[in-house]
Formats: sequence, structure tokens, C-alpha cells
Amino acid sequence: MSAINNNCKYISKKQVKITFDGNTYQAYEGDTIASALLRNNIRLVGRSFKYHRPRGIYTCGIEEPNALVQIISEHNEPNTRATIKRVYDGMEITSQNRWPSLRYDFGAINNILSPIFSAGFYYKTFMGPKGFWKNLYEPLIRRSAGLGKPPKNFRSKSTHQYHNTDVVIIGAGLSGLAAAKKFINTKYKVLLIEQDSYLGGVLKNSNKVKTINGLTPQEWISETEESILNSKNITILKNTLVTTYNFTNHLIALEDKFAGKKIDLNKSELTLHKIRTSNTIIANGHIERFISFRNNDLPGVMLASSFEKYIHRYGVVPEKEPVIFTNNSSSLSLLKTLINLGCKPKAYVDSRKKDNIETEIKKILKDKEIPFFSDAEIEGCDGNKKVETITIRQGKSFDKIKSSMLCVSGGYNPDIHLFTQSKGLVKWDKNILSFKPDTPFQKTITLGSTSGNYSFKKLCDEINEKLSIFKTKKVSLDINLNVPNKFSIKELWETKIKNKSNWAKSFIDLHNDVTTKDLKQAITEGFDRIEHLKRYTTNSMGTDQGKISSINSLAIVSKILKKEISEVGTTTYRPPYAPLSFAAIAGRSTYEFYDPERKTSIHSWHLKNNAVFEDVGQWKRPWYFKASENETMHQAVQRESKTLRENAGILDGSTLGKIEIKGRDALEFMNLMYTNAFSKMKPMTSRYAMMLGEDGMIKDDGIICKISDQHFIATTTSSGAPKVLADMEEYLQTEWPHLQVYLNSITEQFSTFNISGPKTREIMMRVFPDIDFSNDAFPFMTFKNFDYKETKIRIMRASFTGELGYEIYISPKFGLELWEEIFSCGKEFNLIPYGTETMHLLRAEKGYIVIGQETDGTVTPIDLNYNWMIGKNKKDFIGKRSLSRPDTSRADRKQLVGLSPINKKDIIEEGQHIVELNELPKKITDPIKYLGHVSSGYHSPNLNHSIGLAMIRGGKNLLGQKFFVTATGKTKNIPVEIVNPVFIDPENKRLTS
Amino acid sequence: MILIKCPYCGERDQSEFANGGEAHVIRPKNPESLSDKDWGEYVFYRNNPKGIFYERWVHTHGCKKWFNAVRNTSTDQILKVYKVNEKRPDLSEFQNTLKSPSGEPSVGSGNFAVKK
Ligand SMILES: [Zn+2]
Repeated sequence: MSAINNNCKYISKKQVKITFDGNTYQAYEGDTIASALLRNNIRLVGRSFKYHRPRGIYTCGIEEPNALVQIISEHNEPNTRATIKRVYDGMEITSQNRWPSLRYDFGAINNILSPIFSAGFYYKTFMGPKGFWKNLYEPLIRRSAGLGKPPKNFRSKSTHQYHNTDVVIIGAGLSGLAAAKKFINTKYKVLLIEQDSYLGGVLKNSNKVKTINGLTPQEWISETEESILNSKNITILKNTLVTTYNFTNHLIALEDKFAGKKIDLNKSELTLHKIRTSNTIIANGHIERFISFRNNDLPGVMLASSFEKYIHRYGVVPEKEPVIFTNNSSSLSLLKTLINLGCKPKAYVDSRKKDNIETEIKKILKDKEIPFFSDAEIEGCDGNKKVETITIRQGKSFDKIKSSMLCVSGGYNPDIHLFTQSKGLVKWDKNILSFKPDTPFQKTITLGSTSGNYSFKKLCDEINEKLSIFKTKKVSLDINLNVPNKFSIKELWETKIKNKSNWAKSFIDLHNDVTTKDLKQAITEGFDRIEHLKRYTTNSMGTDQGKISSINSLAIVSKILKKEISEVGTTTYRPPYAPLSFAAIAGRSTYEFYDPERKTSIHSWHLKNNAVFEDVGQWKRPWYFKASENETMHQAVQRESKTLRENAGILDGSTLGKIEIKGRDALEFMNLMYTNAFSKMKPMTSRYAMMLGEDGMIKDDGIICKISDQHFIATTTSSGAPKVLADMEEYLQTEWPHLQVYLNSITEQFSTFNISGPKTREIMMRVFPDIDFSNDAFPFMTFKNFDYKETKIRIMRASFTGELGYEIYISPKFGLELWEEIFSCGKEFNLIPYGTETMHLLRAEKGYIVIGQETDGTVTPIDLNYNWMIGKNKKDFIGKRSLSRPDTSRADRKQLVGLSPINKKDIIEEGQHIVELNELPKKITDPIKYLGHVSSGYHSPNLNHSIGLAMIRGGKNLLGQKFFVTATGKTKNIPVEIVNPVFIDPENKRLTS
Repeated sequence: MILIKCPYCGERDQSEFANGGEAHVIRPKNPESLSDKDWGEYVFYRNNPKGIFYERWVHTHGCKKWFNAVRNTSTDQILKVYKVNEKRPDLSEFQNTLKSPSGEPSVGSGNFAVKK
């Protein structure tokens, strides 16, 4: 039974109600979920990861491996550590990883099947037969693996905050507070970070310290906190956990803004602090470790210091009559605490020899008549979903004691996670049997138990010495103790199991259900390097990173390997120290703020006219326009494509990238950047151009307008614009700094319309009656500037559809007005708006390529039969030399061809493979020869059959030949003929007339 | 997240920069005169040492300027930054600043946390 410690000052007397798995419980404001459950004698809180074994509350802090719960009242937040999450009135909690209920869990059969779940089971078990993975194993693992369920319908308002400071002190326990005291009223900007809502650490969690400078621990904490708060240079962050220690003293800390309160959805619930500091002082203490024995996972087994913390910090005695099992001197504090409260342990089991046990402990045990077992150990414990009997081994004799709780202390590990994250080196310390910080890699200081100093009396000197690099005054600490100042410990990691059975397991990792047997088995199988062993057994790979057990596993492994622990080494602790919510990492960069949406000046018109949009980079582009409610995409695209070739259509091309290139050496620069030759090009003409990488592969294309030798405008693909500009800039700065050229992105300075179709000229004459659009006055690939109303426009004769076409450039301010004007003039000519899908269809009919569709970073202009674009007489341009590399000039490279189905009803689809077989064999034994792939496939409404563009090996020489394309989900292939990729107007009559 | 000192703007967060690979790989003046092998070396081959590395960075979300840096790849320490038109600093300048967290081998994963 639990009891109350009325002396606890950290818990308010205000009662709150919480529900756990549907039952309502009374708790106090300030309780954690764990302390509230213990208060109500709830010991069983979850099921384990692999074997679904019943689990309880093992610790009282961040190191908790078992007590993970789901908070239903907080958008279903899963995997919440019950030992740190504070309650509020109305909090709704459920247990995790159990079905149908916590008490009767179906998955517990895994425990019986445990031989198949041993070390490396992920790698061994699911090997066959074929098809079992997809149909059986994976769905099964997905259902049973993991713990909580993901949150639903929740939009976090987490924020990020940045700090630049001189000193960060991590942990406001005794060491951290004493260190902070030194910085009071100094020139240093200091951030003191504490994960709890109260300062004081060990002082408030235990009975170890009696007085400091004549004050009770609580008085000393209050006095210190007040003087820190009065000092303007120190900021305290409470409820804040430092999770990450990066290079250059960059720290990340997570602040829970609603610790112990119901989340207000209108406010930021988490703040992620990103801190740059000159010096970091780590004073985040130590973590108690457990000891492996039979059924050391039963609900009721708890770390001794955690048990004590529940009493002092939360005012709840989890059990009045527990058994204490220790291998060190620190458990005296718990013993005294219990005695002071009138509680009497059922037994005190100490693995140390009687002579080595402190006289004070022996005296108390004798006076209070508590059964005392020295040089003894716990063999194991038994019970139905809870500890009922505990078996003690002393020499060759065994004693069984009835108790529902067992407090275990296997010693303490300095909390070196952050120190090793900072790349500091640790060293094995034989006196404390643990790793402690040795050589810092950055400006890092460790203090107190973090540094491996377990002596309260030596703390003051340590602080004054280590902080002497700062200009601060000396601090004095006169500490009186309830425990011996000298820490004494005897090595004990695992006790021997008396009787073996499937149920009898001795765990080394409670979070991931790894047993000490798994470690031994993995070593037998050859995984004797600690990094391999960790991954093979999943030991310490849980979200707790084995905080209470990883050193134990190293010790057990070193014993098997007959090596020193320092030789075995430790695996590297990785950030974050404790799980960080994705919501905190994402901050405000979610939904529409994740990536900005770019809209053209015509966007509102598109909306009104039933455009369906497509994302192109960040741009929203009309994909197609719905003429009626029931029109499908296919119908719309067929209609748009046919109408354009018969009448006219207009596309909002504003998203096309536009870069202005100006300067003395603009011509030379353009000749180097693009494949084409620009020297002989007349001013006010334009040219389709390609940009390659140094490897000769096509990167981007566009139309280059030459205004003069010193002034060009290059258009790029919609999504390639930033990259093209960056590449140009890079070459200018790094390779050709002697060239005087200036670049400017002008994409958003213009609205761009592409109008094309046989009726275009008549429409343009209506819109711009003063301009002569005759073929002689305005030939293909020329452009002119005009005054238009109170602005200027540029019109270029160009086309991406193969029809007569113009591109109009106008300031976005007048874009919509002109667009509407064009429509009112175009009405009688049946002018339609069209989207990107129709654009793609029309260009495919014409055999024009699209970057990223026909090209994929392995295609040269020669592969596309675009030899005419290459300025062969130019001495150099980016990628030129690579075009004559043996591999790039191979005759059997994949080359662009057109595909026409032999049976005109067959459909050719993008992504299909081209093969020589008319039918795929039922059973494929040898690889089927692959000739290439369909890069674009459309139903052409103008030819009335399916067409395709394809990249085929040696395609240039295959014209007229018959091949096959594979059909999705069928074995019968589609016969096709290799044809010229230009299906419409190969003589370019429409373009140029 | 390391701090990088842009020679034009000063110290900024790494997230403002983009890495441009090995520095001092100069584009050949006359590519046509190069053998296929030599041209291939220029296009495809780069060094990737553990230890001191001369590399290029660009202050993408800042002044957009390219510059060079000397970085210890095993510790991510940036030992020097200099403008593209400045002379490549000599290797000897950094050799004694080479600080490897544990005196670890010159090739390897860098997973060493225990002082030997
Ligand atoms: Zn800069």
C-alpha cells in the first residue's frame, strides 16, 4: 500500500481528477502521471514492446523505460513518459501496446513464443517463404511493433527561440545552483536550464543533504533562486530539457510551456530553444542503474533513488514495506527516509560484505529489527502482473519474502550523454564503476556527479577550481550530510537464475525487451563488437537510450569477452537526449508555412474559370480548365488540345523563369553557359537554347532573347529558375571573375502569356490594332517592345505547341487587365484557356522535349537529335568537352524516338518499357532485354490515336522497326512502330507562316 | 549545426550556407586539349579526406558570395575562411591544430568516445 508524506512542499493540496484507461483517479496538482498512479496503488501501466509483458513504473524521471502512456486529452499524444508528464484536472490517459486490454493482452503470447524473438530476430525470422513478408510478416509487425498511436487532427503552435549567451548551465541542482551563484551580478550573460519545474535537483529529490551553510536544503534553494532572479545577467528556464549538444557549443533545449496545465490550443505549447554559447557547464547529475535478475521487469520493481524521489518530490510513499536491494552506500538515504516516516522495509539486501557496509546502516537495521542480508543478492521475483514474492540468495541458501515492491540500486552513472554528444571523451572510473567525462572537445565544463565527483564535501572546491577561468567570486558551501560522504560500491550487474523457464527472464534493456541471454547469444554468434552487438540485439536502442542499463550491458559483455570495460568501449550517445516532438522541431513551418505557394497575377481568373491546379516547384499552375462540372481531365485535355489546333488557346506562362543578363561581357558569358552560338544572332531575335552540366548532360532549356551583345534575357523552366541563376552566379564568381556581367532574376517582374493556334494572328490584331503582325514584319523567333496603354509590353513570336504563336510580357500590375482584354477579343475566334497538361500533349505531338520528362540527367542534346543547337565552332562552353567522351558519343546510347501503336486503339503510357518480345513469359527465368522506356505518352486528339516519345538504345537507327511496349498488369505486349518524334507539321509550316 | 564565418558578412548559422565541394579545382582553360582521362578527372573526381580539407561554400541565404574554407572533416571545425581570389593557405598552417577527439585512426567511422 502507498502512503502520504505530509512534509512534501512541492505538491499543492489542490485535488484534480484524471482518468487512466477509463477509470477516474484523484491526484494533486503538481503530480506526474506516475506519482498520481502510485498514489492510487496503480502499479501496472503498460505492456512491453516485444513480449507484451506487464510493466510498471520503474523510475521517477526522464530515464523511464517502461511507463509510456498515451494522452488522449492532448490530441492523442503517444509515448509520453508518465514519470515526467504532470497532470491537470480532466487529463485523459490510456496505456499503450495492449489489446484488447491492459490486463488481458493478446500479444503476451509473444512471451511464450520468446525463443523466436531472441537476439537478431528481425534478421533471422522473416526470411521466407516468398510472399510471406508482404502478406504476413509486415502487416503483423506493423500491428504489433511500436508503442503508442500517432496523434490526430492536431496543428501545433510550437515556436523556436534563439539565444546567444556566454555561459549555459545545464541542470539547476546543487552543483548547477552553486555554479550559477558564482555568476550573480557579473558581466557574463548566463542561461540556467532546469528540466523540472522546481530548482534543487538532488536536494529536493532525496534525503542525502541535511543542511547547506546552516540552512535546510529547501531554504537554501529558495534563497539561491531569489538572488539569481535579482541578478540581471542570469535567466532561468524551467521545464526545459537540453536534448542536444552540437558542435560550436550549439545547444537545443525543449521547453514545455504547459507543464501541469491543460494545453491552450491558441498558444504555443512547446518552445524549442536554439542556443549559441561560448561556454557550457554540464551539471545534470547522475542516473541510477538497475541490476539484472530474474523477472526484474515485474511491476513493483523500482530504482531505489526513484522510490525516494517519489517520497520527497511528490509526497507519495509508493509502498510502506518494500524490500531494498543495493550494491552501494547510497541506499542509506532511502532507509532513513522510510524510518523517519514510520515505514519499515521488509528486508535490506546488500551485495557488499558485512564489513564493508556502513556502521550506520547496520545500526538502523538492528535497532528497527529489519531482516538484513549482507553479501547477498536478489535471485528473482514472482507474481501475477506484480511483484508478490522475492527470492533472496545468500551463499547457498534461499529466502522467500512477501512484498509488493522491490527497490533496486546498482550504483550511479554520471549523466554523460550531453558530454559525449559534444564529442568529449570519457574514461572508466573504478571507484564509481562507471564512465566519467575526461577530455572535453569543446568549451565544456562538467560539475558534480556529472563529472564523477560523488563527494558532496569536495563539490565546493571543484566548482571554484573549474570555474576559475571566469572572473567570478569564490562560492562557499558548508554541507552536512545524511549519507556517508565516501561512496562505496561493489561490482554487481547480474544475478544468477536458479530455475530456467520461458517466463523467467533477466532483462538488460526494458524498453526494447532485450535479455542478458540475448547479449550472450549475440556474442556466441560473433557480434562481439559493441556497436554491432547494440544493433543486432537492439540493446539500448530504445527511446530511453538505455539510460538505466547501458553501462550494465557493457559490463556484462566485457565479462563474457574477458576484457576490461574501457577496452569494450561505449556506444556513442546520440542526440536527442530524450525524444523530441516533431511538432517542436517543425515549429511554425507547417502546412502553408512549410513551403510558400507562388501564384501568378491571373490566379483569381483561373479560380473563377474552374481551373484545376498543378504544383510546379512552388508555383500553382492551371493543369486544365473544366468546361463543365462533369468534364473529366481526359475530356478537358482532349477538348483544349483540339480547339487550340483548330482555333486558338492561351496559357498563363508567368511562372517561366526569367533571368536578365547584362554587362560588357554578356555575349561571351552566354556563349560559355549555353550550347548555342549567340555571336551571329541579330539583336531583337530569340533562340531555343540548352544548358548542360560539365558532364555534357542537359540541365535546363529555354528561349534566349538577345537585345544586344551586352543585354540578354534568358527564360528557364518554371522549377529550374533558381538553380540556373545560382549556376550562372557560381561560374561568374569562381571561374570567370574577369567577365563583367550582372545577373538579375526578373521572373516576377512580368506576367507572361503564350497564345497560339491558327487564329492567333487575327486575335492579336484585335488586341493590338497598331501593331503589324504580318509574317514579314514580325517573323518567327523575333521580339519587339511596344507602348501599351500606360505601360510597356514585349511581344515575342515563339511557340511551344507547334502552331503560330506569340508570347506577351507585361507588368503583373496590368496582367489581368490584358488577359481579360485578350479574351474579349478572342471570343468570336473560339479562344480557350489551356493548362499545363494540354501544353504537354501539344508539345509531344510536335516532338518537343520537356526537361525532367525526356531528360533525367543522363541525356545529351545529341541523344535528342538536337545537334543543330550545339555551337560546334565555339571554342568552349560548359559541357562541350564531355560530348566527345567515348561514353557520351556511343552509338547505342538511349536516343529520342517517336512511338506509334500498330493497332491504333492501343494506349501507350509513360514509364512503360520497350522490349523485343510480343509476350512476356509466364515465368521469368532470364532477364528480359530492355531497350528503353516511354518518356511521354498521350492520346492525340488531332491524330486520333495514342502517341509516345521514348528513349531507346540506338533509337536513331531503328526508324520504321517494330517493337513492343509492356502493358501494366498484362503479359501481352503492345506492338509499336518506331517513328519520327515530330508527329505534327514536321516541315514547321504552321510555326513560320 | 556549425557556425561559419562568411568573409563578407561575419559569423552565421550553417543553415544559411551551401557547400560546394572541394576548392581549388580549376576549370581547364582549354578543355579540348585535354585527354579523355584528364577531362574525366576534372569532371568526376574529387578528394574526400578525413582531416584537413579545402572546400567551397556559398552564403546562399545571405550575400550569395562564394568563398573558400579549410575544414577538419573529422571534427567539422572550420579552421580558416578566405575569399576566392585569396591565396590558398599552406597545409602546414593547420597541421598542429589538428585535433581529433580521441587520437582516432586517420580512416574510420569516428565512433570513439572512450579515452585510450
Ligand atoms: Zn555573406
